[in-house]
Amino acid sequence: MKAALTALVVGLALLLMIPAASFLYEAGGPDACARCHEMGAAVGEWRHSTHRGVACSACHGDALTTDVRFHLTNAGRVIGHWRGEAGVKARLGPAQVREMLVRCRRCHEQEFASWSQGPHAVAYRSIFLDEKHNSSRHLMDDCLRCHGMHFEGGIRDLVEPLSRRGPWRLRRAELAEEPAIPCMTCHSIHRRGARHEDRRLEAKVPGPRQEKFRPSLAFFDRRSQAHVEAALLPLPAMHDRGRPVRISPDPRQALCYQCHAPLSTREVFSGDDRTPVGVHEGLSCLACHEKHRQTTRASCANCHPRLSNCGLDVEKMDTTFANRSSKHNIHTVKCADCHPKGVPPRRQRALTSAD
Amino acid sequence: MIPSSQIGGGSLKRRTFLASSAAAAAAGCGRKPAAAPGYRFLTPEEADTLGAWVDTLIPPDEDPGAREAGVVHYIDIQLTRWFRKHQSDYRAALSAIDRWSWSRRGRAFALLPLAEREELLVQMEKGKAPRDLFPDGGRAAFDLVLAHAMQGFYGNPRHGGNRGYASWKMIGVPPMPVRGREHYSAAETFPERS
Repeated sequence: MKAALTALVVGLALLLMIPAASFLYEAGGPDACARCHEMGAAVGEWRHSTHRGVACSACHGDALTTDVRFHLTNAGRVIGHWRGEAGVKARLGPAQVREMLVRCRRCHEQEFASWSQGPHAVAYRSIFLDEKHNSSRHLMDDCLRCHGMHFEGGIRDLVEPLSRRGPWRLRRAELAEEPAIPCMTCHSIHRRGARHEDRRLEAKVPGPRQEKFRPSLAFFDRRSQAHVEAALLPLPAMHDRGRPVRISPDPRQALCYQCHAPLSTREVFSGDDRTPVGVHEGLSCLACHEKHRQTTRASCANCHPRLSNCGLDVEKMDTTFANRSSKHNIHTVKCADCHPKGVPPRRQRALTSAD
Repeated sequence: MIPSSQIGGGSLKRRTFLASSAAAAAAGCGRKPAAAPGYRFLTPEEADTLGAWVDTLIPPDEDPGAREAGVVHYIDIQLTRWFRKHQSDYRAALSAIDRWSWSRRGRAFALLPLAEREELLVQMEKGKAPRDLFPDGGRAAFDLVLAHAMQGFYGNPRHGGNRGYASWKMIGVPPMPVRGREHYSAAETFPERS
């Protein structure tokens, strides 16, 4: 009886020790988190970020979090710190990155809904078990640069067999329905930034007050396990059969170019490039594609009712680039496509009568 | 004379006191010096001295110098990781250069102007530093700090240095180059161009 009671007390004490590390972290607010050297940089960045009004616990959990893995991770970090084995910087593991989706959704419901209906919400299963792709292209570690970038391990830890002959299966079956391109692929939550301007003004008052891009925009560099802010990402100098192609200076599309990238020749449409040429040359990806859902629905109306001189109802043209029979591929369509006998001279505006 | 009972030392024998003092001193000598806030290994004085040292090697101009680019933090972090074996080398070298600076210029190394710091480091590079401070004339310490400063300045920020990609921005290397792959052939997606 006495031994059972002792075992019960010891067991209870051990159980209580699991969230003890979480208590330790949050005992004094953000400063308590920053006490560990490896947390200092993250807390410092957070202090200057747009999320500085959001407490650590709102995203990272607290002592009352019911997920045992969360507490075990914290306990592991404290032990690692005491043993002098702490890494350069604390970072979220893949499971925590997935859990962040729910936390992002709490405040960014509209963005989350858009993203979840778009192509970037694609699941691991759809990407890595795609028969058409796997039977014609080699699966390789570089796939993880743009898909499943938070996965800890190489491609051989994720898919088998690594050949063009299936059937393929995920070695980590629990990832099958998880998103391969989560929020934290393109957003760095701790990124330094200012509070946003009133976005209701955007449509009415273009200019310095107009939002250029979210300060959180950054690409997750899998090699460095860190985000590279959008402003530091390069825009490639593109060419179309030797002719330099004008591209939009919009820094946001530098993120797009990271994965929808041309080959080293920088030739348009090489690799997975989608740089527009023809009448749409110089437009940013985001001039037509919605930020989170990537749809282009009704985006023509942003410009054409005011600018088009052709008299064509562009909303009814088949501009789908994926449709091979379309003559109006939106990325390549040019004047000569509709005017095979030559583009008529631009009509003079009725300014002369006014003059 | 104050009776020993009034100073609480009634039962403390002189021999016991000496033995205790010696033990406390020994224990004190064995303790690691407290690291500066935000640092893992370097004391505040050592961090200042090392900052001045690496800023002499890579001084700031229109681009950040080594200290601003986080080289001191890089070395500090790595001294508890991959550079652990160099802990005593750093402690000795930072102490020695500071003593040399005091004896020669009457100021701590961190407080010297750039030209005077450079003068001392040039002597070390040539192996002409005082032998009582640097047994080899300072060459080994100079090479060690130079190598680590270069690593911290030009390396990947994930290791704790090159803050904000300072050096990569300086030399025009994008942190993430655009790297395409032949995932799809142009003929499939853009048949009219093939």
